[in-house]
This record gives sequence, C-alpha cells and structure tokens, in this order.
Amino acid sequence: MNYFSFSKDGRALYCLFFAGIMLSFSSSFAGISKRHFKTILQHQIQGTVTDGTAPLPGVTIAVKGRSNNNSITDYNGQFSINVSPSDTLTVSFLGFKTINVPVEGKSKISIVLHYDTTTLQEVKINAGYYSVKEKERTGNISRITAKDIETQPVTNVLATMQGRMPGVNIIQNTGMAGSGFTVEIRGTNSLRTSANSPLYIIDGVPYSSQSIGSSYTSGNMPAQNSPLNSINPSDISSVEVLKDADATAIYGSRGANGVVLISTKKGREGKTVFSIDYSNGIGKVTRYMDVMDTPSYLAMRREAFANDGTSQYPANAYDVNGTWDQNRNTNWQKELIGGTAEYTNIQSSFSGGSEHTQFLLSGNYSKETTVFPGSFNYVRAGGHTNINHESADKRFQVSFSASYTTQFSSLPLVDFTQTALRLPPNAPALYDENGNLNWQNNTFQNPLAILNGETSGNTYDFLANTLLSYNISSGFTASGSFGYTDLDQKQMNLQPSTIYNPSYGFGTDQSQVISNLMNRSSWIIEPKLSWSKSLGNIAIDALAGSTFQQQKGDQLVTLSKGFSSNSLLRNPASATSNSILSSDENLYRYQAFFARINFNWEGRYILNFTGRRDGSSRFGPGRQFANFGAVGAAWIFSENKWMKKQLSFISFGKIRASYGTTGNDQIGDYQFLDTYSTTATKYQGLSGLQPSRLYNADFGWETNKKLELALEAGFLEDRIFTSFSLFQNRSSNQLVGIPLPGTTGFSSIQANLDAEVQNRGIEFMLRTQNIQYAGFKWTTSFNLTSIKNELLSFPRLEASTYKNQFVIGQPLNLTKVYHYTGLDPLTGTYQFEDVNKDGQITATEDKKTIKNLTPKYYGGLQNHFQYHNVELDFLFQFVKQESFNENYANPMPGTMSNQPIGVTGHWQQEGDPGPYQGYSVTNSSRTTANTRFIQSDASISDASFIRLKNISLTYELSKKWTKKVTCRLSLQGQNVLTFTKYKGIDPEFRVSGYVPPLKIYTSSIQLSF
Amino acid sequence: MKTNIHNRYAAWVCTAIFSLLSACSGFTDVDLPSSQLTATAVFEDKTTATAAMLDIYSKIRDKGLLTGYNSGLSCQLGLYADELTYYGNTGASQANFYNNTLLQTNAALNELWNSSYNQIYASNAVIEGVNASTALASADKQQLLGEALFVRALIHFYLVNTFGAIPYLTTTDYKSNSKVSRTTEKLVYEQIKKDLELAVDLLPKTYAASDRTRPNKFAAKAVLSRVYLYMQLWEEASDAASAVLNQTDLYSWPSSLNTIFENQSLATIWQFSPALNGANTYEGNIFIFLQGPPPSVAISQDLLNTFSSDDLRKAQWLKTVSNGSSAWVHAYKYKRQSNTGTSVEYSVILRLAEQYLIRAESRAHTGDLIGAKQDLNMTRNLAGLNNTSAVSAEEILQEVMMERRKELFTEFGHRFFDLKRTGSIDEILVKTKPQWNTTDKLLPIPESELLLNPNLNPQNEGY
Repeated sequence: MNYFSFSKDGRALYCLFFAGIMLSFSSSFAGISKRHFKTILQHQIQGTVTDGTAPLPGVTIAVKGRSNNNSITDYNGQFSINVSPSDTLTVSFLGFKTINVPVEGKSKISIVLHYDTTTLQEVKINAGYYSVKEKERTGNISRITAKDIETQPVTNVLATMQGRMPGVNIIQNTGMAGSGFTVEIRGTNSLRTSANSPLYIIDGVPYSSQSIGSSYTSGNMPAQNSPLNSINPSDISSVEVLKDADATAIYGSRGANGVVLISTKKGREGKTVFSIDYSNGIGKVTRYMDVMDTPSYLAMRREAFANDGTSQYPANAYDVNGTWDQNRNTNWQKELIGGTAEYTNIQSSFSGGSEHTQFLLSGNYSKETTVFPGSFNYVRAGGHTNINHESADKRFQVSFSASYTTQFSSLPLVDFTQTALRLPPNAPALYDENGNLNWQNNTFQNPLAILNGETSGNTYDFLANTLLSYNISSGFTASGSFGYTDLDQKQMNLQPSTIYNPSYGFGTDQSQVISNLMNRSSWIIEPKLSWSKSLGNIAIDALAGSTFQQQKGDQLVTLSKGFSSNSLLRNPASATSNSILSSDENLYRYQAFFARINFNWEGRYILNFTGRRDGSSRFGPGRQFANFGAVGAAWIFSENKWMKKQLSFISFGKIRASYGTTGNDQIGDYQFLDTYSTTATKYQGLSGLQPSRLYNADFGWETNKKLELALEAGFLEDRIFTSFSLFQNRSSNQLVGIPLPGTTGFSSIQANLDAEVQNRGIEFMLRTQNIQYAGFKWTTSFNLTSIKNELLSFPRLEASTYKNQFVIGQPLNLTKVYHYTGLDPLTGTYQFEDVNKDGQITATEDKKTIKNLTPKYYGGLQNHFQYHNVELDFLFQFVKQESFNENYANPMPGTMSNQPIGVTGHWQQEGDPGPYQGYSVTNSSRTTANTRFIQSDASISDASFIRLKNISLTYELSKKWTKKVTCRLSLQGQNVLTFTKYKGIDPEFRVSGYVPPLKIYTSSIQLSF
Repeated sequence: MKTNIHNRYAAWVCTAIFSLLSACSGFTDVDLPSSQLTATAVFEDKTTATAAMLDIYSKIRDKGLLTGYNSGLSCQLGLYADELTYYGNTGASQANFYNNTLLQTNAALNELWNSSYNQIYASNAVIEGVNASTALASADKQQLLGEALFVRALIHFYLVNTFGAIPYLTTTDYKSNSKVSRTTEKLVYEQIKKDLELAVDLLPKTYAASDRTRPNKFAAKAVLSRVYLYMQLWEEASDAASAVLNQTDLYSWPSSLNTIFENQSLATIWQFSPALNGANTYEGNIFIFLQGPPPSVAISQDLLNTFSSDDLRKAQWLKTVSNGSSAWVHAYKYKRQSNTGTSVEYSVILRLAEQYLIRAESRAHTGDLIGAKQDLNMTRNLAGLNNTSAVSAEEILQEVMMERRKELFTEFGHRFFDLKRTGSIDEILVKTKPQWNTTDKLLPIPESELLLNPNLNPQNEGY
C-alpha cells in the first residue's frame, strides 16, 4: 500500500519533481555558458527577400546549426546578419517553402521564396500521447490555432471554437459573464444528459469540466459555472478535437464523447521578445424582442377585461385602473438589459531562449461588465509560464508549464431578461425624483431592488505540468508527464433585507447569505515509453504507457440568516443562525495502460493500432477494468507514381477508415456502493439516514463503437483542399437507472441497460486559396456537419419513467407536445388535436406530436484576406434547427404581462383568424388553452440562423516607422450580424428568460519588440 | 562530466517510470466519503442505526399512506368514501378519488404504492442490518427490530386494505422483489399478525422518546387489536385492546375534547414528530380554510348530518366558514394551520378512543354487552352525550359503527375500511356517491407496476 504515501499528497510529490528540475537546470546552464566562449570568424552580409515581385517583410533568416544567430527582414524585405563564409542560411516564412542558401563568401544575397500551399499538410498535429503529421494521420482531428483564437474578443476558449470545426456543436448558455457552454462532439451519445461532455485535456492534464458552483448560488444562470472559464484564450497555442475511434480510443473509457486537447503557448528559441496587447471594447445584447408599446398593451388589457365581462377593473390591475400613468411608455429591455458591457483586456508576454533552453512568461488581466443596471463585473487575472530545456546532446528534455488564474465576479442575483420582457410598458419609473427606488405607493414591485443583492464569486485555479523525456538510444524514448490541478471556489449569494419591498417591513434579521465553498484538485502521472524505427520501407512508431490519476473534490453549501447589519453579510459568523444545506465530498481514482503502434509503408499505406486498458474507481469490484481499442488505416493514393504522372492536378489524396470502441464513465462517484446517506428532513430534531440507492455493484462501462470513413483530397498544389467524412457512432450498454417496479422500494437501479443510441452523420470541409499574388492573399474555408441522432432500442421503454422523454427511432433531444389545430372560430380559444379521441385533452394521451430540437445541420464559412500588412478575417456561422419560439413560456395574452408584438393579431369576433386567441384575464378555458399552447407545436418553430460570428481587421504598422517594434492594430467584432426569421430574443441559445450571448466590438493594439 | 549528467537523467527517468509501472493494483479502490456510511457501518452504532429508523418515520410522515398531506389516506379515502366533498381543480387526481373514477394510471396511486414499498424496503433494511450487526447491544437490537417489524406490518396492513392482495415483502433483495406475485389477503394478514406479535415481544413498555413519537409495546398491541378486529378474532381483539387500556400509568382518558390532539395528550399512543421545531400538523394545514368556497376539501353534508346538535364534537372538531350566502365546514380536530413558536400539535396515528371502540365491538360480538356499552359510552360521554340506549348486540354494533364514524373521521380512512369490513359499503355509499361501483372496494394497482412486473397481474376487478 505504499501508493498512499504519494496519492494522499500530490503537492508534495509535485514539489519533489520540481526541485529535481531545478537541480538539472543548474548543471545545464553551466554547460551553455561554457560553449559561449567559442569564437568564430564572422562578417556581416546584407540581402533582400522577395516573393518574385514584392519584398517580403518578417521573413526569418537563420544560420544553419546556430539558431541563436538569426535575423528578420524589415519592411523592405532587407536583412543583415553575421555569418562566416562557409555558413548556410535557412530562410523561412509562413506560407512559403523554406529554402537553404549557402553564403559561399558573398556579402550581398538576393533570395526569392516560393509560395508553399502544402505546408498545412506538414504541420504536426497533437494527438495527445503522440503527434502526427497532418497528411499521415489516420484519425479525424480538427484543429484551431492561436491565429484563429486571437481574432476573437471572447473570454472562454470554447467560444473561439464555435463554427470553426466540423462535428463540434457549441452553444453558449447565456450572455452573463462567466457562464458556460454546452459542447457536443458528433451528437448526443448518452441517455443521461449530464454524461455527454467531451474529455478536456490541457497540456496533458485532464481537466474536469464538471460544473462548479452550486444551484443555490447560480440562480442568475441556466447552468452552473464552467471551470473552463479559468483558461485564458490568449495563452492557448492550439486546440485539437479528436473525434473518431482512431483518435479517441487511446483515451479509452473517457473518449466516447470526443476529446478536446488544449495546448498552451510555449517559449521559443530566438531573441527575447516582449509583447503587450491591450484591447478595449463594448458589448450589447444582439437584439431586442419586439414587444407591445403602451397603447397596444393597454388596448389588450381593456379588451381582456371586457371579454371576461369585468366592467370594474380590479384593485390590483394598476396598469389599467388608473393607478399608473397610462401615458408612460418604456421599452423595459432598454432599461434592464440594454446597458453596455465594457471589455478591457491586457495581455503581456516575455519569451525567448537559446537553442537548449526557452522560456515564456505571460500575464493577463481582463475585466468585463454587464448589460444590466448596477455596477457588476467579472475580472480575470492570471499568469502563465513555460520553460523548456534540453541537454546539450538533445537526449534529455524537460518542459514545465504552469498557470494560475483568479476570477472575481460580482453579478446580479437574477437575470433581468424575463422581467424586461414581461413588465407592462406603462409601469412606473424605477427611481423617484430623489433618486430612491420607486415603489409607487406599493403598487410596483421595483425590479431594481434586487440590485441590493449580489452573487459574488472568487475562483482560484492552478494548473501545472512537467514533461520529462530521455532518448535512451536505438529509437527508444522514455518520458514521464506529471500534472497537478487545484481549483478553489467561494461563491456568496448575498440577499440583504433591502432586496424586498420595504412595506414588508423586513429587517436585517431577514437578510441571508448562501455560501458555496468548493475545492477540486487532481494529480496525474503518466510514464511512457516510445520507440520508432525504420525497417526498410516501413517506418514503425510505437508507444506504451500508463496513467495514474486522482481527483478529489469537496463542496460545502451553507445558509446564514439574520444579521445585525447588512454590511456584515460577508461574514457568516455574524449571522444569528447558520445551517448546512449540503456537504459533499468525493474521490475518483483512475488507472490505465495504453499503447499505440503505427506502420507507415513508404508514406503510402499507414496502419495505426491504439488501445487502452482502463480502471476506474466509479465501478464496483470486478467491474473496474475494461479494454478499449481501435484500428485506423490510411492510403495516400496521391503518392502513387502513376497518379503523380497522369493526374498531377491531384496534389494530395487520401482515403482513411477507422473502427474501434471507446467508453464513458461519467456516472458520478460511489454509485456502486451499498450506503446510507444523511437526509435533510428531520425527526425528533435529528437528521435521518436513508438507504442511498438500491445496491448494484454489477454495472460496467458504457461503450461507444465508432466507425469512420473519409476521403481527403488536394488539388492544384493543395490550393483546393477538401475532406469528407462519414461516421457512425453507436452507444450501447447505456448506464441508466433501469426502471424497477415500486415493490423494490425504488423506482430504478443504476445498471447497464441494453439501449442503443446511434449518431450517424457527415462532415465536410473545404479550404481554398482563391488568390495568392503579389502580397494579396485570399483564403476561404467552409465546414458543414449534419448528424442524425436516433434511439435504436430501449427495452421496456413504455413501462419506464423515460416513456415521455424518449421515442424509439427518434433523436434523444426531442420534446413531445400537443398538436395545435388552430382557433375555435366561435369562442376564439386555442384548439388541440385529441389524439385518442376521448373528448378530453390530457397530457399523457394527447401530447403525441414529436418535435426534434437537434440541429439538422450546422457549419461555418470563414474568409481571410491579406493585403501586405492588412488582414481581414470573418466567419459566418449557420445552423438549421427548430427551437422554442416567442410563444414558449409566454403568459396568457390579456394578463398583466407584456406580449410580443405579434400578439396584436388576435381573435376578436367569430371567424377571426388570429393567430392568437381572444384576450382574457381570468377565463378558465382560455387559461387552460394557453397552458397547452405553450406546450404545443405552436411554441416551436424554425430557429435557423446565419450569424456573422466574428470579424477582425488587423493592420500592422510599417517597420519603416516603428523600427524594431512590431505594432499591430485591430478591430474585432463578435456576433455582429444575425439573419433569421426567428422572433424570439436570440436563435442561437435555447433557454428562455436569460440574456443571450452579446454582440461585442473591441479595438486592440499589440506591440512586440 | 557529460556522461555523469546523462546517467543522472537516465536514473531519474527510469526510477520514476519503473516505480510507477510497478504501482500496486487496488489503486482504483477508494474509501467512502464522510457524508455516506456503508450499510454495515450504520448498524454498528446505536446513533446511526437509530437515525436510519427515525428516517423511516419522517418518510411515513411526509409521504405515502399515512402522511397528513392531501396525498395521504386521511384525505384521499375521506373523499373516496363519504367523509369529504371536493372543491378543488377538476383535473387533479383527487377529483378522481372523490368521483370514484380512479384510473390505474392515476399519479396519486403511484405515489401511495411506491412510497409504501420504499418505507417497507427501509424497514427490511433495518431488520437485516440489525440482525447482522455484531456491535449493537441486545437491548438496542430488540428496540430497533421491534420498531422495524411494527412499521413493516403497519404499512402492509394499510396496503392490503386499500389494494387487496398485495406482495408481503420481507427482504431488500431487488431481484426477488421485482418479480414478486401477490399474496392472498388471508396470508398477508397472517404475516402482519406474526410481525406485530413479534414486535410486541421485542418492544419495551416505556417509550424510547418521551413525546411518544416512537412506538412502544402498546403501540404494537394497539395495531394488533385492530388487526384482530379486522380478522374477526373478537376475543383476541378485546384482550389486546384491554392490554393497552389497562396501562393507566401511561395512558389516561381526557376530560375534554379540545386537547386530545395536542402533543401532550395522554390519550395518544403514537404520534409523528414534526419536521421542524414549531411546525404543527399537515392535517391542520390542509383541512382548515379561512374563506369559502373551500380551496380543496370540506366535510361532506352527509357526515355533518350524523352529528346531533348536542354532540360536542360538532362544535369542537368541526368549524363552519361562511361567506354570507353559503357555508362550509372543515375538520377542526387539529386547530393549528401553521407554525407556532413551539409545536403544539403532532399528527396522532394511534389513540385510546379507537381501542375503546375496538373493545366495544369485540365485546358485543362475544356477548359482553355490558362491557361493550361501557366502552361505547367513553367516547359518547366525552362528547357530551348520554349513555347509549342500545340494548341488543345488534343495536350496540350499529351504535359502535356510528360512533366510529363520528369519532374517527378524517383519520387514515377508518370510515372506508369500516364500511368494507362490515360488508355495508355498497349499500351505504350508493346513497351519496352516484358513480360508486361494487368493484371500487379495491383501488387499482398502478398500471406502471403491472407493466414492470407482470407477475402482479391480474389487475383488480373493474379497472
């Protein structure tokens, strides 16, 4: 049991390794300084670099074998560098073929670079435990790089992926600062809605995406905080998404929903560069919903009372009975969600290094405010560091990365969006003439009183990783990766007595605070041995390794009530009563062995085998281990000699296929144990203990079989490049609560159900280099995904509690609704189809119309223009889907609630077409009809949209003026334009009553020298 | 020098890798968090074992057959028989109880059934846990076993009277419990009797909690006397009731109707502790209304008419609410609708009055007419009525039934069960319940239950 010694204290272990790294530095620094004494006879040469017609600025000129000696061309394409006569210059520039030019004693050199359209195929792609050349990969991996990320003024890395990757559907939960995203890679695989998130890995360290926060303190968002907010997008160098079996099987049990690999920026060899980036911007809601103004609203109210036969307006109908000014007209959306959010972001970095040691230090600060009234904000500040070192003979390498991020948020207790849509347009002013909250003699529930409360949160996130590797010899490399994460969060939901109407007479004894304290820490150790060898025509790459991981979490939610003063709210000790709402802790351990072997025959035929044996503490004894594996194959047919000769316009052609299994262990901890848990309900003043669940230790992994077939082709030196993938993923052995008869004491038991979910789809990607001539460059890329999700089987569905949720043969993301058949021409109320013809409309028998809320297809179109030092980049995102519309969750027309403008089209007399029913306040048949209308197909309509998701214009100042300083100015916009027929507040996101993602404009300046 | 450094690197890396590769298996076995206890650990300690038992009481109090909420039998069977009139939303499941138009899909049925078996499961878990425990003192074991057996019998008793033949479950094994068949009513009664007799032996005379919120020996005896009565074992019923009534140091007959349902009452045999200090009963909360028309339920005209004007229960246990033109009556046994500084009323499940009435009925059947009349007069006199004028056994029995209706109304379906066991239900209910059908004597087994476990077929007749 000696593993306990380190498993219990990951930090100590980490320090040990860190100390080791420091020790190894001391000796190697000594080695470096010694070598610097070596002197060489040198002279300076001058030269120019052009693309044949125009000079090329920014080209790197290096001396081969001495990479600490290099230079960069200026605005006129000119450079100078110290060389010795026998040196060779290596001239490289992104987008051009790298060439070597021997100096041969010359003192002036002219160099012409040729465009290289195929470089993208040579890029090494991170596949997690190994990397692979883009052209030689056998799996499906999508990628975005810092270049795409930099152009976007967003704070969450997931936002930067929207619309840019085929097969990846990302939806922002709300426009509130610090909210999360829903990410689905290739559809919904699991019946458990909480088990469809991909695996996130940051620099080799798994990062739990399980939401942090508590439902008690997250009332202002539809979902709790996402821990991924801690990652600063500007620290990221690339994000790779692994999708098919070949790419994900090496992640075994956690690869079923895809894997997102996030790599942070690393130090680079060369002269020390300092760069600073400052941006400032504003954000607004993308649009307002069109709602009634006061005249139409009051007309509606009067008509509603008249319809109900009420001649005397009730005392509480303040809007029509004369209590409120009937001439006021406020668009409450402008007042409550119409503010301007301000964005400030400062990022600076310092990087450089020698051939053997490189470093990067960066810091960032960003602050954003909200569109709500009141002074709320969200601040993130942090630092990131990376150090790489290799020994003089390059056999030993070490890389260390760490980042620490703090987030401080101060947000309103509630989202005002729903209030903004429903408040009568003639409701009184928010403030009286003295600037105090206006309660209009207690007739007005002033929505701003809630501003006296606050949800504040402090989040501290530390993430570190060390990678050691040693090239043993004869193709063997041993390496070890050590990672540690630690996340702390403290949230407080402050509800002072002043958030209530003063007429209630609540004193500070009614003030309360809900605090949420949570910690999540994890460590991972992954030793690995890799081997590569060429045997004749065949190159073999192999690796084997193991993983040990532990994640520990605890959470405590407390309620403190009754304070002597509202200024003491942040100190729970001053409360008269403190009680614990929930207390939870969990431990997750995970162990695995993985291996890969890759055969590459002359760069033409590639075979890739990956496998993993996983063990997880989430399963009972005897069930903890399972095997996963995949095989991938690729045939690069363009390497065929005949093809090269006869069909030379085909510059690249590859067919690849893969098949394999992955798993899913997102079921929560301890589910297999026979335990009692404490209950909140009391008896004799004591909390009870209840059996937690029916005891079943015999459940195992959910398995996901993935099949993929793809064609990749490049034409005209890859100026046109396209890839087309077909995939089919089948998830079976679904881990769900299997329905049981009540006689068992419970309604279900956690077990593997023989239900199967299929996701079948296509991904298409096209990248073209439309123009590349004399300093002008235009590239376009397009991606499209279409997925059909289907529940293939579900034994005894009709008898289960899932019977209203799922339908065999239909997608998982469906909703069953009434079928709206139009207005009753006589009474002007909504009518619905009586499916079973029993003369009654009942939920169980008549909610039979199935609506599919899964997008039919989605994708993006990105264009990039570059003319000398001006770059323009824009991305259109499009989604074809149906979603809940403005009728959903809308109170009955006629009641004291504002309505979408379309509601003016309503029934008034026999034969009127509507479409909305006659106004009413209390008519019970209309109330019932409206309740059903909300739950009918009339509340779901097309919510397809095309959105100019991102636009960015960058200008790099001429070096003529800025000399050694590179200065880039840019303007960026997010969610700039939206084209849609949707009448709700925003088509992109699905939850009504919350502020949608914002439209953001920023300007920025970047200096580096 | 170089070689040295490299040897050191190599040593570093190799040591790290090999020490890890050889890490022992069992890494993925984890300990429990402190918010959970294994079932075994729970029953190794008196406090935690008791917490497991107390949680069953709070479950019974909050959900299922015996809850005072409107989903419990007091309200549902009151509506189903002739005690209550329904005024609430016509679409609610309660409306179907009131109209005797229950469908097997009714959600309220599911809740009654599922929470009952959940409570039975928890009791069986306590029985199994206590039996397997090695650390509990034998007195504590007896106490907990007795309580769990008592609860198991009690819940099955109400289930069999509501649904007819039902499975009698004595294990927590979900594999067998998910395939059980129905046990005949006769066998269910045998089991109930067996469990209760065992509970009587195991439970001590004194209450484990001074406020009588945990059952003692006489609580088990009191239920047993009712079970004997339903089984028509008159001698046994009479003896069991006597055993309770003779405990004059524990129980005493009150002098006023008003305090019977207060938590200090010495006529109480077993009552529920409220969820919060200061809380009163759910019954008080749902039956009392301040304005008419009633939001949900009110006392039926038929029940109201059975009280003579001089019956104090009419004045003290019922209350009229009028809006000027119409008047409605609500049950007023529990007088606190909401919380008070400290709790005044607890929900009473077993009380002395029923024991007197059980003994009166049993004595009438065995020919002890004098004794029967004495018992009958207890509740009559407390209600301000004269001694009964009944003479023959038949008259006494009729009088007992009348008295039971007036004394025990809105208490866990007594009226419905009495009508059933005396065979007069069709004849009586047809007068006030237009949709009454003779097959309505049994409620339907929830449909989902039959779908999930076809062994429970056939459904009760008429559904």
